[in-house]
This record gives sequence, C-alpha cells and structure tokens, in this order.
Amino acid sequence: MDTVALTVASSEGPQEVLRILIADDNDSDRLILQTIVRKEGHTVYTARDGQEAIDIFREQSPDIVLLDALMPNVDGFQAARTIKALAGDDLVPIIFLTSLRDATSLADCLAAGGLDFLSKPYNRIILQAKIKAFASMRRLHETVQRQRDEISLHNDRLIHEQEVAKQVFDNIAHPGCIDAPNIKYLLSPMAVFNGDLVLASRKPSGGMYVFLGDFTGHGLPAAIGAMPVSEIFYGMAQKGFSLQDILREINKKLKRILPVGVFCCACMYDLSFRKRSAEVWIGGLPDVLVYRKGNRTIENLKSRHLPLGVVDNDRFKNETTVIQLDFGDKIYLWSDGIIEATNDQGEMFGEDRVRDVIASTPDAEAIFSAIEAAVEKHAGRGEQDDDYTMVEVTMVNEEDMGEYFADRGKSFLAGGPKDWSMTYELRPQTLREFNPLPLITHLLMEVPGLRPHSGKIYTILSELYSNALEHGVLGLHSELKASADGFARYYMERTKKLSDLYEGSVKFYVDHHPVKDGGVLTILVEDTGPGFDFKSKEQVSHKTEGYSGRGIPLIRTMCRSVRYLEPGNKVEVVFDWHVDV
Amino acid sequence: MSTNPERHVDVGALQDLKDIMEGEFKTLIDTFISDSSSKLEELAAAVATNDADALRKVAHSLKGSSSNICAGELSELARQLEFMGKEGSTQGSIDILQRMRDEFATVASILQEHV
Repeated sequence: MDTVALTVASSEGPQEVLRILIADDNDSDRLILQTIVRKEGHTVYTARDGQEAIDIFREQSPDIVLLDALMPNVDGFQAARTIKALAGDDLVPIIFLTSLRDATSLADCLAAGGLDFLSKPYNRIILQAKIKAFASMRRLHETVQRQRDEISLHNDRLIHEQEVAKQVFDNIAHPGCIDAPNIKYLLSPMAVFNGDLVLASRKPSGGMYVFLGDFTGHGLPAAIGAMPVSEIFYGMAQKGFSLQDILREINKKLKRILPVGVFCCACMYDLSFRKRSAEVWIGGLPDVLVYRKGNRTIENLKSRHLPLGVVDNDRFKNETTVIQLDFGDKIYLWSDGIIEATNDQGEMFGEDRVRDVIASTPDAEAIFSAIEAAVEKHAGRGEQDDDYTMVEVTMVNEEDMGEYFADRGKSFLAGGPKDWSMTYELRPQTLREFNPLPLITHLLMEVPGLRPHSGKIYTILSELYSNALEHGVLGLHSELKASADGFARYYMERTKKLSDLYEGSVKFYVDHHPVKDGGVLTILVEDTGPGFDFKSKEQVSHKTEGYSGRGIPLIRTMCRSVRYLEPGNKVEVVFDWHVDV
Repeated sequence: MSTNPERHVDVGALQDLKDIMEGEFKTLIDTFISDSSSKLEELAAAVATNDADALRKVAHSLKGSSSNICAGELSELARQLEFMGKEGSTQGSIDILQRMRDEFATVASILQEHV
C-alpha cells in the first residue's frame, strides 16, 4: 500500500491535462461548462445527446465524462451504462450534470454508474475540485490495476518457476528408493521450498542410505541447497561411497555455496540388513528415536555434530554411532516441524507426546499414522502443514521386501562396463613423469558394484606397480630397505635412476568378467627387467617384519591367487569380489 | 422597466460569469436568448396539447440553463412548470407560462445590457 500512495503522490504534478467529455443538450449550459473546463487547461469533447456521447467515448476514450441526466434520444442514464460497459476494467469517472433534486433521480444516477453530481448553476470552484478528485481516483485505480496485473504475473511466474524447479529436483531425486516397502514418510509435495528434504538410496553392496535434511530458511534459498545435496547423495550412494565420504562431500559443497547463516540440519544413516545395524550421523536435528519392537521401548539418539555447511571440511566431524536393530525395530527421523508444532495455546507438540502416542499404539505398524494424526489434532489444522516432515524406516529381513529390492538390486549392477580387458603399457617418458594408478583405479571403479573394494584394489595395483618399476625396470634391490638408513638411500637411488630412465616399460593387462552378484578381476603386470628367482623366494616363509616385504603377503590375503610367471618378470593376481548383501 | 435588476438576475454572479467566458460571453447570451425563446414556444405547445411529459422535460432544461445564467426567478418559474409536468397536470400552467414570458423579456434585456 505504501507503494500505491507513493506512486499517486509523485504523479500529482502541477497541472495534469485531462481529456474530458461533456454531454449536454442545452447549448448555453454546454458552452459555460466547456469554457470553464477548457480554462483549466483540459481538452474538451462535446456531445449534444447520449448517443453522441457514446460515439465520442468509443473514439476518444476520455478520462472523465460529464453527463447531463436528461437528454433527447439516449438519455444520460442509458449513456452511462453503455460507457461503463465499454470501459470494462478501466475506471472512467462519470459525473452527472443535473438540476434534479429528488432522491430517486439522484439514486438513478448512481445506479447507472455515476460517481458524483454537479448541480446547476455550475460553480467553478466545485467543478475544479471534483475534476481533480476524480482524476486522482482514476490514477489510483490505474495504479492498483497495474499492480494487480503485475502481482498476478509475478505469481504465475513464481508458480511456474517452482514447478520447473520441482521437476528438476524430482529428476535428481528419481533414482531413490524412498518408496521402498520398509519406509514411510510424510513430506509436503512442495517441501523442497520449505527446506525439507528426504532421500533414500539403495547401496550397490546392499542395504540403504537414508537422509533427512532441514535447511534454514524458506523458499528459493532453502531449495537451492537441496539440489546439490540430492545430487551428491544419489551420485555417491550409487557409486558405493561410504556414509562418511558422502557427508563430507555434502558438507564441503554446502559450506562453499551457501551464504553464512544458511545451513542444513541433517541426519543420515546406513542401514545394513545383513548386519542388522544402522550407522547413524546426526547434525543439528531433533533426537532420532529408535523404537524397539520387542519390548516396545524407545531410545534417543542425540545430535553430536554441527549441521552440514557450517564448518570447513578440515574441522568437519564424521564420527558415527552404530546401533543394532532387530527385525521390526524402527528409526524415526523428523525435522523440527513435528516436534515444534504448536496448538492454539502456543504449546509445542514435543517429544513427550510422541512417546505417549507410541506407548498407546500397540500395533507398531500404526504408529506412523498415529503420530501424524496426533500432530494434526494438536495443531488443530485440517490440512497437512507444509513443515511436517517425518520418516520411519523399519529393519526388515531383506527377503521380506519381496520384488522391490530384487529388481532394484539387479538394476544397481546393471549398466556400466563389466566384461572387458585392456592392455596399458607405460614407456620411459611416462614412467618418469606419470603415476598411472589413479587412472587405472578410476577405470576399474566404473565396474558396477566394485567401488567398495577400491581400497584393496588400489593396494594391489600399487604393490604390483612399484615392484615392476623399482625392481624390474630400475633394478633396485629391496634388501636395501632392510634398515632405516638404507630406506633413505633406496629412495634417493630410485629418484636418480628414474630421471635417467630411457628404456624399459611396464605393462598392465587388466581383465574383468562378471559372475553372479560380483566379478573376477585379473591383473597381470609385466616389466622389461630380467625377472627374479621367485621359486626360491616362495620357499622362504613370508616375511612380515622389517621395512620391506610386507606387500605381497598382504595381497595374498586379499586375493584368490598371486602367481609369478617365468622368467619372473610377470606377476598375475586374481581378485574375486561379491556384492556384500 | 424601472424594476430592480437584482430581482431578476444576480448581477454579481453574472459579472463573474462574464469574466470566465471572456470573448465567449456574447455567444453565450445570444445562445441563451435564442434557445430560451424556442423553449418558451415548446412550453406553449406542451401546455396547448396538455403534454405533461414534454412540459416536464423542457421546463427542466430551461430551469437548468436559466440558473446557470444567473436568472433565479426565471429558473424558479421553470421549476414550477417542471413540477406540474411531473405531477402529470398542466392545470394552472398557462398563468405561469405567461409570467415566464414576461420574466424572460426582462432577463433578456438585462443580459443584453451586460454584453
């Protein structure tokens, strides 16, 4: 409203030139009125009867109409009605010129759409004042109308934008398993604009991640953060990253993109059906409740961390709590909307009421809807409030989930390169300047389901490569590394020999083929060195102490087989892996 | 015509009107006089044919224009005729019409003096 007032005030210039239509059948009256109005600086159109007035209005659309009530042909009342209809949404002030005095006639003027009267004899001062008043009324109306149109346009645009944003968000959230049979959740369809976020994803190795986030603020600022969180969550979850890695990545991203004071209270957990456990991280959300079906008790898990997006990654804490769960046990997550829902006395719903509801609901399967109903009753709202976000996840026997995960499980291992081999030969210049291990590891991680084994695979590759390069191509002796002093000399010599390297190469043969729920990875590394007497070495019991020699025995514990091939410059490792269901 | 002009025309208001109209004042007076003359004839016709509705409309118009031209008495007489027309009766209108003719003649001469 301030804006309206301001606009009107500022447009009230010294003298506004208006276009005014005067309709009067009486020549002398019309002449007087026309002269007065023209002297005020306005433009005048004149008409002798109602029909002429309507015709001129159609052609000129004047700002104000001064209309005699009684005129031949079409009278003033009829002309007023027609002009009003022609004006549509626009306000065209009609002032009746009349010497009628009786109330019924004056009421007829108003009923026909007149806003005021001007009595004969005309008074110049009153006429001036009325024209001025109706000119500003007309401007006010225009301003209101323009603002109404603008508001409606903005509103349409906003809704459209939200729909687009929601669509984008849904596309990102699509790969989730939030509709899994062991998950119940309450979330407004437009909750992303309230800053609430619920995500769930099946892990490639079995089990699932569940995430509930509550951004500070509302609207677009809250929604913006939801996009990267979802994308990181689903992207990393599907690739098999750990809970800690995902949280760390989300924290890093949010810290970087969100302004100070905007952050995400969150809880994320890793539910393992096989181990019947959940690994939980909570940052800033209300207590997570764990319902034990066996004795119908409730345990609280408290937030131990700051919300996501508050501290830099070097100060970010990703310690988790692991809890054991029996079949039928349930974990409840919520944003503060449920706990803080207030009734008309201003009392919050609170955790005690949640506990009461659970205690008075013997059927565990009815708890979720009982809480929902109790909150709505407490808050006294008929429809679901946007801020109620709640998730219940039940520990189940994975087989009891029926087809849901059977199909999903396959799809997690579907797609991506599974059956392939490659040869990668590194020649002197590359050996001098490039570490091939990240590249090969990255390539292997494209195999669906293999990522959880990335640590072991990197260890294997790293051991085989350093043996091939250092002992095979560079001809360094591992005996040197037997003492601390020798260790240093070994690396000095390694650096020198490597920089002087002009011949020799290391070749990787990598082969992966899939088996049911996993795969077989074969890595063969060959160097151009002379080889070594692996047969006599293998006789010696595995060395596990000292500075060297730990590598190969460690690899043997990870793999199906480690085999040297004649003349001792080739080693082949076979690594079996399975989805950890 | 020794009557006081103020009884027929508000001379002060007429002077104001003259100031407003400037060069148009003569046109206004001429228009008023010729317009009113024909209106008086229309009124006579309405009275003769006992046409109350015509009496009302024409008298109404004359009431307005004579008030604008500051001729209060003429306007008052027109009001009386208008009222009769509205009541649906032309009885007694002949007398008033005659008084209007006289009044108009006086007013017209006063107006012309001011041009």
